[in-house]
Formats: sequence, C-alpha cells, structure tokens
Amino acid sequence: MNLKLGTAAALAAAAIFTVQAPAAADWKPDRPVEFVAAAGPGGGTDLFARVVQSALSKDKLLDVPVIVTNKTGGSGAETFIHAKTSGGDAYKLFFGTQDAYALPLANKLSYSLKDLEPVAAMTFDPFILWVNPKASGIQDVKGFIEKAKAAPGSIKVGGAKAKEADETLMTLIEKAAGIDLSYIPYKSGSEAAVQVAGGHIQANVNNPSESVEQWRAGVQKPLCVFEENRLADTTVIAEGMSWNAIPTCVEAGLDIKSFAQPRTIWAAKGIPPEALAYYTDLFKKVAQTEEFKGYMARGAQIPRTLTGDALKAFIEQHRATYAGYYKTNGWLKGAVD
Amino acid sequence: MSNISLLLDGFSVALSTHHVLIMVGGVLLGLVVGVLPGLGAPNGVSLLLPLTFSMDPVSAIILLTSMYWGALFGGSTTSILFNIPGEPSSVATTFDGYPMARQGEAVRALTLAFSSAGIGALTGVIVITLLSGWVANFALRFGAAEYFAVYFMAFASFIGMSSGSPFKTLVSMMLGFACATIGADTISGESRLTFDFEQLIGGVSFLVAVIGLFGLGELIMTMEEDLTFHGVKARLSLREIGRAVLELPRYWATVLRSALIGCWMGITPGGPTAASFMSYAIGARFAKDKARFGKGAPEGIVAPETADHSAGSCALLPMLALGIPGSATAAVMMGGLMIWGLAPGPMLFTTRPDFVWGLIASMYLGNIIAVILVLATVPLFAYILRAPFRIVGPMITVVCIIGAYTVASHTFDIWLALIFGVAGYVFKKLDYPLAPFVLAMVLGDKAEDAFRQAMLTSGGSASIFWSNGLVGTMMALGVLLLGLPLISRMLRETGIGLRRKALPQQREIGST
Amino acid sequence: MEISRRTSEIATSAATALIGLIVCYGALENGIAWEEAGPSSGFFPFCVGCLILLGSAATGAQATLRPTEGQPPFLDGERARAAILFFLPIVAFAALAVFLGLYIAMAIYIVYAMYGPGKLKLATSIAAGLGVAVVNFVIFEKLFMVPLLKGPVLNAVGIY
Repeated sequence: MNLKLGTAAALAAAAIFTVQAPAAADWKPDRPVEFVAAAGPGGGTDLFARVVQSALSKDKLLDVPVIVTNKTGGSGAETFIHAKTSGGDAYKLFFGTQDAYALPLANKLSYSLKDLEPVAAMTFDPFILWVNPKASGIQDVKGFIEKAKAAPGSIKVGGAKAKEADETLMTLIEKAAGIDLSYIPYKSGSEAAVQVAGGHIQANVNNPSESVEQWRAGVQKPLCVFEENRLADTTVIAEGMSWNAIPTCVEAGLDIKSFAQPRTIWAAKGIPPEALAYYTDLFKKVAQTEEFKGYMARGAQIPRTLTGDALKAFIEQHRATYAGYYKTNGWLKGAVD
Repeated sequence: MSNISLLLDGFSVALSTHHVLIMVGGVLLGLVVGVLPGLGAPNGVSLLLPLTFSMDPVSAIILLTSMYWGALFGGSTTSILFNIPGEPSSVATTFDGYPMARQGEAVRALTLAFSSAGIGALTGVIVITLLSGWVANFALRFGAAEYFAVYFMAFASFIGMSSGSPFKTLVSMMLGFACATIGADTISGESRLTFDFEQLIGGVSFLVAVIGLFGLGELIMTMEEDLTFHGVKARLSLREIGRAVLELPRYWATVLRSALIGCWMGITPGGPTAASFMSYAIGARFAKDKARFGKGAPEGIVAPETADHSAGSCALLPMLALGIPGSATAAVMMGGLMIWGLAPGPMLFTTRPDFVWGLIASMYLGNIIAVILVLATVPLFAYILRAPFRIVGPMITVVCIIGAYTVASHTFDIWLALIFGVAGYVFKKLDYPLAPFVLAMVLGDKAEDAFRQAMLTSGGSASIFWSNGLVGTMMALGVLLLGLPLISRMLRETGIGLRRKALPQQREIGST
Repeated sequence: MEISRRTSEIATSAATALIGLIVCYGALENGIAWEEAGPSSGFFPFCVGCLILLGSAATGAQATLRPTEGQPPFLDGERARAAILFFLPIVAFAALAVFLGLYIAMAIYIVYAMYGPGKLKLATSIAAGLGVAVVNFVIFEKLFMVPLLKGPVLNAVGIY
C-alpha cells in the first residue's frame, strides 16, 4: 500500500510542478497563510498580527484564510527559530518587534538575522514614562529625577520581561539623568501598568495603548514621550491633555531622543522573490486601510511603513544601536555579526 | 440599586432572538471544541475571532463568551469520561469524576458536574452583578505580595489533605515545581533547566504534562488491569439524569462553600484552576467520609466544578476592568476587544455600559442554555463508554497525541507526553499522588515570580508579606490552613506515638 | 518476567533522585545565592532539587527497610505484556508522526490497533484507520483551521 502511495505521490508532485512553473511570475497564495506571532494572546505583537488579519479580511485584500498562531517560548525566540526551520515557506509570515534581531544579541540562540527575510515594518510604537501621580507624588520629569536622587533605588520601575526593551529603556533613563532606579519585571506591560495604577510601584515605561485607560481613570500620568517630536494626535484624552500635550523627554530634561519600537513582519529566508514582492505590496495596502489606521490611532503610534532597502537599512542601524545598549549593560551574549 | 437597573438594560440588549441564537450556536461550538483536547477553548476563540470582525461588539463578545461556557462544560466531560482534562481548571474534576464513571455511573457523574457547574456559574454572575463597581477597585489592591499570599493559601489548603506517604507527596510536588521552572525566568530573563535544548526554552506545557500523566497514563493502566477489555456498562436512562439533579441539594454545604471559594479566587488573581483545587481540598477536609474522596465521591465532583465555574465567571470582571486576562482564552477575547475598538480598563464600565451589562446579562442566559444543552448530550457521551475499550482506547490515544501536538505545534511535545504517560502510570501504581504535581506545575512559577517581585519591591525585606491588612490576613489564613491539620494530627498521634511525618510537609512550604 | 513492588519502588526513587540531581546541577548554572533584593534565579530550583533528593532518599529507604512479604508484585508477566503491547505501538505512532506527519501515522496506528489487539476484520480496520484520519483532517484543517503536522508525503501530493 505504501509503495503505491509513493508512486502516486511522485506522479502527483510531478503534475503539480509542471502546472505551477509558468504561473510563478504572478504569484498569489492559493492556500491558508499562517501568521506566527512572537507573543502570547493579548500581547502587543499578537494584537498587531490579528489587526492585520482583520484588515485583510474586512477589506478583502486576500482571498485565502489567515490563521494566527502564537509561538511565545523564550520571549518569542521560538517564532524565529521556527522561521529558520521552515526555510523558503511562502505560506508562513512571522510577526514581531525589534525582538527578531535583538533576541539573538542577548541570548545564545540557533537562529540569526541571516535566517530571516524582512518584509515590512508597519508602524512604530512610541514609549512613554508613566507614574502614579497620587501614590508617588511625582508630577513631572523634574520631580521624578529629584525624587530618585534624594533616595537612590527607591523608585521602582515596572516593565515587561527582563533584559528587553523596557529594562533597556530604564537603564538609558538612569544614565541620562544620572540616577539609580530599581527595575521590576512583570509578565506583560499591562500587568506593570496595573501595578503602577494600584500604587504598588511608582513608575513604568510602556507603549501608549497599554496605559491609556489607566490615564483616563486618573491612576497613571504620562511624564514624557521618548521621541524626537511630540505625538501628533491632539484629541483630548484625560485631564484636558491630548497625546500631543505630552512633552518629549528632551523637552522635559531627560536626554533620550528616540526609542520607538517597530512592528515588524518577517518571512523565512529563501522565500521566492515573487512571493516576497506580493506580500510587500499587500502590507503596503494594509497600512492604508481604515482598520489599520484605527489601530495606529488608538495606540498613538507613529505611522511609518518601511519596506525593501529602506527597511534593511533601518534594521541594520537599529540592531547596531541595540548591540550598543546591550554591550554597555553587559547583557551581550550572542554574536554581533 | 443602580446595578439592577443596568442589568435590566443589559437583558434588553441580550434577549433579542439574534443574540439568543448566537448563544446557542456559541455554546454548541464550545462543547465540540471542549470535548476535543486538541482544540480547546483558546483555539475555538481564535477561530471565531475573524468572524467577529464584522459584528457589533456586543454580539461578538456574546458569541465568544458563550463558546467559552460551552468549552468549559466540554472540558469536564472528557475529564470524567476519559480522565483527560480539556482545560487546566478541570483537572480536579478527574479525581472523583473518572472513578465514578468507571464504576458505571457516568451519567450520574456528568449530571452532577454539569448542574453544580451551572450553579457555580450563576453564583459568579450574581456576584459580578452586585459587586461590579467594587471589584475593579478591589483588584487594584493586589500587588506582588498579595498575589503571593493568594497562591500561598491555595498551596496551604492542599498540603494538609494528602493521605499517602508524605515523602511521595513531597517528591511529586517538587517535580511539579521543577517542571514549572523550565524555560525563561521572568525576573532575570535567563533560561533555567533547559540545558541548552532549544525545545525546552518555551518551558514544558501544562496541557502536555496533563495529557501524558492523566490521559496516556490511565490508558496504560486500564490496558494492563483490564485484560478482558470490557466496556463500562453505563446505565442510560433519562430518569438517571433527573435523579442525579435531585441529588444535588444534599450537597448544599459543599456547593455554597465551593461557590464562595470560586468567587474569591476569581476576583483575586488566583483564577479558576487554583479555585477548583482549593475547593476540592477543602471539600475533602470537611467531608464526613474522607476515605471516599478520590474513589468517586459525589462531593469530589461537585466541589471543584462549582468553584471552577464561579471563578471562571468572576474572573471576567478583573479582565474587563484591568485588562489582565486570567486565562489563555480570556487573553484571546481581550485581544478581540481591542480589535473591535474597545479598550479594557476602569473606564469601560462608564463609557460602554451597554457592552458590559449586555455581556453580564448574556452570562446568565448563556450559562442556563449551556447547562440545558450539555445535559441533553449526557446520554450520547455515556454511550461512548459502552463501546469495548480495545476499540475506544486507540481512539483516545490518537486524541491525546493530537492534543499534545496542537498545544504548540511541536513534535517534541508528543515525546514529552509519552514520557509523562509512563511517569503517570508508574506513579499511579506506586501511589504517588498526582494532584500536588499538577498544582505545583500550575501555580509554582507564578508563586515564585510573585515572591521575587515582592522582594524586589520591598528591597529584600520579608515584612512586605504583612505590610497591610489584606496581605497579612491572607498570609495568616494560609498559615492557619496549613497548620490546622498538622496540629490536629500531632495531637492525635502524640498519644499513640506513631509515625510523626508532619515535618517534611512543613519544609515544602519553606521552599514555595 | 515479574517485577516486585520493592524493586520498582527503589528504581523509581532512584530515577526521581537522578532528576533531583539534574535540577540541582541546572540551578547551579543560574546562581543559587540569596542576594540583597531577594533570591537569584537558581535559588528556588536548587531548593526544589534538594527536596526531590530528600524525598527520594526517604522513599527509597522506606522501600528497602519495609518487609516485602505479602506485597502484590508491581507487574507480572501477563500484565507487563499487555502494557507493553499497548505502549510500544504508541511509540511507533509518535515516531511515524515525526517523519510521515500525524494523519498518515494515525491511519497506520488505527489500522494496526483495530486489526491486531482489536481483533476486527482487516477491511473494517482499514476503513476505521482511513476514517479516523479523514475525520480528523476535516475537523482540524477545514473546520477549525488548526494546522497539524502533515509530513512530506501529504505535501508531495499537494496537501499542505
């Protein structure tokens, strides 16, 4: 029975190859596409993948179904290891942040940036420094620095996971202001935000969307945004303030220019160039949909989409920046090149 | 009371034909998903999520939550019939549900489970209705130390109860802790106990362990013991279902106690899994006939099921109010909320009362529909048990293997499940208790994270665990739960002067 | 072949003790100190490993010292045969699944289990095997869109 099956398989395979070859120039997916998110359900990257999925289905940009799966092991490294082992697969896309290239810097992992083919950076999530105004008595960056100087280590800053973006940013704050803070890692950014809201710790660094509801409820207050320019949105959110009213950290006296987190999409290395071109084009369209614009607006994100060479150049530069951070913090474990 | 009028508004939203149909559909789908361990509630919600993109948020959340209720009931079904818990929170149901089913009383076991679960869920929803404003603020009072105290209480209530060898209990629980440790450490970011195996960086999944220990382990056990491969002769009359439902009032004390435990664990971050274990343990302690626990005691089914479902319902409230999901399924739902343009948080109750109260109203209806539908399926499920085991056994094996694979799409997990299967078989034969293992695996890393976060917050001072009334009371209760059986046992045994084995159990606590 | 209760108790406690040692060793790699702001990441695992060792030692000692008369054996020949005859095909199933994908592996396994130990007719068994694979395929791939491992053979005939 097996033998027969084998022959049949070979015949069928031959048939498929001969039929498909001429059509390759105009590539289009003809079976479900899998989006692998490098974060658990409800996490930032998971939400990103599902918003793209919903934009694709609402605006009928893709005829085949999209399946979102989560591979969260090793802070998402599992997703990119999976990318390495599914080399050339045109039906799997991998969703992440800078973690795709930052993880192999801080950990010994079997994949490297060379195993991934960047497809797009869809949008950038800014970072904001938040405090609990009532429990901590801090109202602005000046007060934050004064308080930290008065009692070194007394301000507890919460963030998602250890030795990743949030803790990196905290070490940057420490260096820029010459202060000493204590970092407390939680499972997710929202968890850290709730701990600040409950007054258990004093401050956290976060993407806007993870704390906006606490801000509305008056239990968190934004001190400054880690960007070169203020955020664009001028809709009033709480206390008569809009995203635009939050000063940049440089304005507020904390010399950290930009720390945005790209929302990135990757393919496995060896994906056919025509498939890559198709997806690049597809995600450019997604960035223009109402669905995706609504997502960016809710998260006060910086709408900047990068593809092709611009994306590659950005990754190169961003990776070098992170390698620099990790080196000064003594976290560098993986190979830099 | 304003909450009642808000609830009535909610009912006017939820009671449309359209929404009732959505509930029925959701519950049915949930049952299917819950019965197949390879699918499970998180997969079901993921599947439905794309469908909800074009729905209005109220209908969408009703669909997702109804499916969730269905899946919870479905998960109990496989726990009772095949010893395979579909959801972590239905593990405790296997302890007495499966033995009862094996004794030919599958119908009674299923009916008891479903009706007590229904009562638990309704209690939970009533608590939500009455306390919705208060719960959100209360949940904010939980810092790392309070989290730890909740877990400590769960462990403490469980440790005193185990009957067998205390050393075997110790080994089993510590192995559970060790499994929970594997993978990336939240606090330091380092990987632990992975020995540079990349398959292990994601940790050992709880479901894989449970599929092996309970599902495969039990299959091997059955094959070995039951050489004649007889099917279980389950009695199958509708009267049987009615009789089991009428039996329930007899356990009113267990139901009440378990519902309270469930609501408490649902509102606090303990969650349904801890609630069901704690309720089972305390139920065993209060039972008149302790020896029957673990051998098919009806209270052993009623206690975890009631607590599981009341906790599951109550846990939705902190999720909506704080945006912190209590389970994988809740996490997917929360993602849905954000895609529909709603942000979970303290303001959701004031900005979208139609959504919140429509959801709460639908929880009343959805759970009632779920109980009715699931009771209707009892004869069908019990019928499966009549087939000879040599036919059903391999089918369950296939389901187990698929289930292990779908947890994370790893072939490595299949091997792990087989290893856990052998371990489960040997442990069961040698009377190692499995419950402490499971409890430690579910709560171990959470308890450790909370402990270390609390220590970081306090700068290394243990006084944080009695720094305010809330955490102090919980820690004291935990110590009391831990101490009472030990003290009473010591009092009893000093007279006789026999085996004083309380000591190692105290040491377990020292390390949690 | 017969394994006594005592042998199996001692073997099991030796195995758990070995796990305890491994856990301790792994914890040492992370550092087991209790620092100023709480324990470092290896502290708890190290305690856990030690407690496993302690519990295993006590269990092993109990089994060695306890009188063995009157204990039912852990396994006798017939029972062991039944357990192994059930378990080995599952191992084969898992191995097949890794190389040929879950669907083909489950079909082969079910055909074997129905025809061999199940004592069904060959035709019925083959039908059952194919049926199980097809039903699962429809449920997982088509209805619920949960992709299972399909393996090279199904890929080659165009099923991904």
